[in-house]
Amino acid sequence: MNAQRLGTVVRAEMAHQVRRPLFVILLVITFLVVWGLSSGNVTIESGASQVGGQKAWVTSEFAVSQTLIFLTFLLYTFFISVGAGMGVIADDEARIGPILHTTPLTPREYVWGKFLAVLGTYALALGALVLFLVFFHHGVPAGENAEYRGPLSLLNYLRPALFFGVPLLVFTAGAAFAVGELTRRPVLVYFLPVVMLFICAFFLWEWSPGWLDARVNRFLMAVDPSGFRWLSETWVKVDRGVEFYNTGRVRLDALFVLSRLGFIALGLGGVAWSVRHVARGLRGAPVRAAKGKTLADAPPATPLGVVRDEVPLASLNMGVRAPGLLSGLGHVARVELRGLLSQPGLYLFVPIILLQMVVQSLNLLGPFDTPMLVSPGHFAVRVMGQASVLVCLLLMFYTVESLERERAAGFAPIHDATPVRTLSVLLGKALANSVVGVAMLVAAGLAGTLVQLAQGQVPVALGPFLAVWGLLLVPTFILWTCFVLAARAVAGGRFGAYGLALAALCLTGFAAVRGELSWATNWPLWGSVRWSDLGAFELDRTALVLNRLGALGLAAFFAALAVRLDGRRAADSVSTLERLKPGGLLRGAWRLSPWAVVPAVALIGAAVQVGQGWQGDAAKKRAKEYWQKNLATWKDAPRPAIQDVDLDVDLEPEGGAFRTRGTYTLVNRHEKPLESFALTGGDHWEDVRWTVDGKEAAPEDRSRLYVFKTPLPPGAVVRVGFDFHGRFPRGATKDGGEVEEFILPSGVVLTSFNPSFAPVIGYREDIGIDEKENKYEPRVYSDHYYEGPTEPAWGTGTPFTTRIRVTGPAEYTLNSVGVLERDEVKDGRRESVWKSDHPVSMFNIVAGRWAVRRGAGTAVFHHPAHGYNVAQMQRGLEAARRYYSEWFHPYPWKELKLSEFPGLDTYAQGFATNITFSESIGFLTKSTPKANAVLLITAHEAAHQWWGNLLIPGEGPGGEVLSEGTSHYSALKLIEQLEGPAVRMEIAKRLEERYAKNRRVDAEQPLVKLDNTREGDNTVLYDKGGWVFWMLEDLMGREAMHAGLQAFLRRYMNDADHPVPQDFTAALRPFAPDAAAYDAFVRQWFHEVHVPEYRLSGASVKQEGGQWVATVMVENAGSGRMPVEVAAVKGERFPERTEEEAAKGPATQSPDYREARTRVVLGAGEKAEVTVRADFPPERWVVDPDVRVLQLRREAAVLTL
Amino acid sequence: MLSLRNLVKVYPGPVSALRGVDLDVPRGMFGLLGPNGAGKSTLMKILSGLLEPTSGEVTLDGVDIVRHPEALRPHLGYLPQEFGFYPYLTGEAMLLYLLELKGVTAPQGLKKLCAELLERVNLTFAAKRKVKEYSGGMRQRLGIAQALAGNPKLIIVDEPTAGLDPEERLRFYRLLAEVAHERTVLLSTHIVEDVAMLCPRFAVIRQGRVVAITSPTEAKAAIQGTIFEGTASAAELSELQRTRRVTQAVLFEGRNRVRIHEPGGAVPPGFERVTPTLEDAYLLLMKDTREPAEAVAPVREVAR
Repeated sequence: MNAQRLGTVVRAEMAHQVRRPLFVILLVITFLVVWGLSSGNVTIESGASQVGGQKAWVTSEFAVSQTLIFLTFLLYTFFISVGAGMGVIADDEARIGPILHTTPLTPREYVWGKFLAVLGTYALALGALVLFLVFFHHGVPAGENAEYRGPLSLLNYLRPALFFGVPLLVFTAGAAFAVGELTRRPVLVYFLPVVMLFICAFFLWEWSPGWLDARVNRFLMAVDPSGFRWLSETWVKVDRGVEFYNTGRVRLDALFVLSRLGFIALGLGGVAWSVRHVARGLRGAPVRAAKGKTLADAPPATPLGVVRDEVPLASLNMGVRAPGLLSGLGHVARVELRGLLSQPGLYLFVPIILLQMVVQSLNLLGPFDTPMLVSPGHFAVRVMGQASVLVCLLLMFYTVESLERERAAGFAPIHDATPVRTLSVLLGKALANSVVGVAMLVAAGLAGTLVQLAQGQVPVALGPFLAVWGLLLVPTFILWTCFVLAARAVAGGRFGAYGLALAALCLTGFAAVRGELSWATNWPLWGSVRWSDLGAFELDRTALVLNRLGALGLAAFFAALAVRLDGRRAADSVSTLERLKPGGLLRGAWRLSPWAVVPAVALIGAAVQVGQGWQGDAAKKRAKEYWQKNLATWKDAPRPAIQDVDLDVDLEPEGGAFRTRGTYTLVNRHEKPLESFALTGGDHWEDVRWTVDGKEAAPEDRSRLYVFKTPLPPGAVVRVGFDFHGRFPRGATKDGGEVEEFILPSGVVLTSFNPSFAPVIGYREDIGIDEKENKYEPRVYSDHYYEGPTEPAWGTGTPFTTRIRVTGPAEYTLNSVGVLERDEVKDGRRESVWKSDHPVSMFNIVAGRWAVRRGAGTAVFHHPAHGYNVAQMQRGLEAARRYYSEWFHPYPWKELKLSEFPGLDTYAQGFATNITFSESIGFLTKSTPKANAVLLITAHEAAHQWWGNLLIPGEGPGGEVLSEGTSHYSALKLIEQLEGPAVRMEIAKRLEERYAKNRRVDAEQPLVKLDNTREGDNTVLYDKGGWVFWMLEDLMGREAMHAGLQAFLRRYMNDADHPVPQDFTAALRPFAPDAAAYDAFVRQWFHEVHVPEYRLSGASVKQEGGQWVATVMVENAGSGRMPVEVAAVKGERFPERTEEEAAKGPATQSPDYREARTRVVLGAGEKAEVTVRADFPPERWVVDPDVRVLQLRREAAVLTL
Repeated sequence: MLSLRNLVKVYPGPVSALRGVDLDVPRGMFGLLGPNGAGKSTLMKILSGLLEPTSGEVTLDGVDIVRHPEALRPHLGYLPQEFGFYPYLTGEAMLLYLLELKGVTAPQGLKKLCAELLERVNLTFAAKRKVKEYSGGMRQRLGIAQALAGNPKLIIVDEPTAGLDPEERLRFYRLLAEVAHERTVLLSTHIVEDVAMLCPRFAVIRQGRVVAITSPTEAKAAIQGTIFEGTASAAELSELQRTRRVTQAVLFEGRNRVRIHEPGGAVPPGFERVTPTLEDAYLLLMKDTREPAEAVAPVREVAR
């Protein structure tokens, strides 16, 4: 290799690369994005979110690594792929090869020179990224973001650039270069970053269930070219505390170093391979003779001229009739399609999509990270976002390259002089390239269907795919294609078109992340569509139709713009300048204006829908007025309690309407008189009328807080009547998303938590609060706040009686709390009267067109097609009634029913006798013999009949632990009762992993301080809470625990004082066999934050006679002090079982399994050597073999001998 | 009739490519002759609707094709100077596609017409080969076939014989001559021999302006008796070039065979009067450095 010639190539290519718009656009985008991100939005998920809490710095090596990975992967891979992959192709198009390769320049110098130039160019861009980061993090005044910024350390920037940026760039550049050189097809070059984005962003970075085998996880870390999965799984997933991230270094391990070297080798290998390919291709492809022939037998390429009698051209009788729009479109589309099908891209990409989608579908996760059944509609909506991003990128590349094809092939002058219409050409190309999108969707649909067939439960159906992808996605693709046509017409070339189109995608993504999209602007429908098998697109249907109409109208507008600006005839520069003058622009705009009418009308209509909807500006303003007017006066004002509820609710699901008439009997249970009291009404209520003790009343309307100036002495009772109607929800949402309560044809869900169909007593703290504008820090309670009577966490105090009469269409079942007193159908209307057979603390109404499965005192109401898990759910309900009654308190109500509602939100709520489940919870959960997820969910919600209804926790820190933590604990107990210890252990591990993954080390509050307002609180409330009660039972013993719980419930049920964890621990203490151990446990797990993390090392085994003596060092690398068992084991304890085996009963321990145990108690940082004698050769050491002690990184507490 | 009036084209720079071209092209074969960079290809692109002029007017049978380029396209056969085809299509499929795009009809059907046209350009043997396997000459012939298809009113061929071997070149000439009876064929070239052989009339374009419109016979007649040929050494040639109007100087057997234009003066010793060629006339025009309006080239003719 001649260094001088190599240098010449590098210099020339680099000079070209750095001057390209592509490079300049990259620098500009990088600058803007780094500027945007410097506000502290992108940092490690650690630290405390509250005001003044220690924040994770954006300047730490961990945070910079994350930022750098995202930017280099999402931006740079696209640009460097184009830069590197198009190098040889561009030379081909410029037809420079014959001259270049007849000089002394060797293929090695040519290829390496071009590659090094591209790599050098983008290394400069990487340097620029580092400089921008340093500048915005340390050079620009921090202002309100100061708490996110640490001191400058250049290593925090240089190490991530070296470890993550450089290998990624070398690999991408080398691979793109090789793809471009080998295939000489631009589209295949673009495939590379698209495929990488697809696999990484939608799979490698996202999918990490707790049960994933560690070896598979390490493999996935190694194959992630960005290194993000390694960073996340190794250092970030389990929060190590803000101090660690702010000041620590990203320590590399052998896996990471080897995988980075591997990616570099792959990139450079691709270039080396290109050298060989170029060298071989320069002198033509080698030719082999056909079988039985020699090369000498090959016919000449051109035969000798022959003399023919030529027919005069005139005798051919040729005529011309310019092709019409459709026939021209057909001709163009046919030939384009032929070109498309002759390229390998489609055949490469479809299997990749198929494979990725199959893997993704098999691993869909639902609530509590439980696996999900694949159902067509849910699957179609779930992959909509990915599909739209992916297909839009592919359509962009295919369309632009298709439009460039005539120019690149030199065919443009002939083609453009033909009479075929420009619109035919543009649309014909677009139509042909739409095959890419169709192929992608077919592959995705096929993947979902294959998984459905494999799961063997949900039937295959085409309708939902056609509805979601056909009606919703296709307009997106049409709009995008037409936009790309227009972008290319405006930019006049390939790279300008890419710049404009990518900028449009980036801007949309940016707006989506900031929550600024609405039905009027969300053209790709990112995140706005929700599916329900119970009824498709009922919510926001008008806004959705207007949005799609707008998209199609915009598509027509862009198509018209593209035709107008298409460069089929090169415009004259002088005329162009004329056209760019205001007059010219106005004339141009006027000519295009008819095309703007439809999209403008449709999108303005959508904007009006949003504006008038319940998330619109007017509604927000009214909600804020409620907050402004009433916060200071009514936030902590004492409230009367409900004594009785009497409601008549008429439902019209088809119109989303309701009418409520009713009476609340209120009582003052306070020791002081109430001079006035308030009820909160709904913003959607109309014609609201009130009565007090049967007489018409006119309470003061303080923006929907109705204030009654009726004095209530202690113990006094007042009957407040009300009558109103409305539609709920009123109008459209802003941009789709989740809706908790609604009246829709597919189902009705209404609760007493919100003023949706009945007034709420007192002031509602959440109304009028905007996350960005007026959110305030939660109240700080004193350590002894719970002494004396504590207000309830929900409801108004002691339980009350109810009579709720619901009317609706005859085909609906109308469920509420209590027992069904009357159920009649008259004149096509059903009337169901529900009366509480035991007092309740809250009430709800749920209605639907269901099938029902009844059991002993239980019933499951479900969508007729959602019968997959109903038997299992009913089993769970019956077992819950039976065992929770035995363990905690007899179930006081007659029936326990569970009703399904459309999955417009994903939650379940356990009202007394009337549990509601979203269809996404339980009904579409996939249970495995190893972990019965359906039972977990059902058992948890059923437990709320006791923890949350019979016992209402107190308002204040820790209160909710007594409903959610106790329900998780109850579910674990029930699972062990029904399914045996193996399933309980597996589910307990899942909860433990969720806790490890989602907790915030620095912000984590002890259970007694937990108020569920901070990031990471939720997992502590549910998962740690459940574990702590489980461990408490281990400490106290089962019977003592039950006795304690029963006493606790007896004490606080129906009482005006509502308990918090301090009351709970005090109530159970008398039942603890060892009070000192009990106190230590309570201190450690309720009042402090500790989690053990066990490590094993230095294991040895020696045989002594017929026995084996095994020794290992156990260390508690975490915190806390717990007795824990350590076992030397042989064999699998609970072998894998099929579903048929699982159906026969709980898993039993394998007879081949052997173990020898001992117990250690280790405090933070303590070590102990343990030895066991076994009459079998141990295969591995396991800490906590029965999964009874909550710990971090349990997978590391196993040591194979 | 194709009429050009005051056609101007200025490229960004600014560089003037056409500086007010006025030309009437009658039915039949018409040549456009000019050196490299004279503006021929720019003119051809404007006439074929691929380039917007800065100003001026072009009409074909009264239809303004600057304002309405789409009106020209059904009636145009165009063979550009440089072109290619979709490499993944066969020659037959490519031609068929172009016939469809042009809206060509034929009683025998497009497939048969396609075969006939390929036969006329001697490509039958390669009809099923992919275009990417075609030689330069084969591609040129495929281009010719598509330009002739569809009975166009106007055929524009820009340097059409580049890349053709002598046999194919002659075949192409015959084809052009055949079709030129019923339509306007505009042949742009810098090869004087092509014009001499094919065009009853031609225009000469230089530096963006038409400097002559004439016929080969008239052009030669205009300089009849004024061309002399002799041989000269290198030193003598320098002297001749300084003092006389040398039209051509070519090496022949080691010496310079020189032709000079001497309208009325003394003939150098050793030079003989010879019959003028069209090339003499053309080269004389090209050596005239004056602006066209002032030039007095013997072959100029007022545009008709």
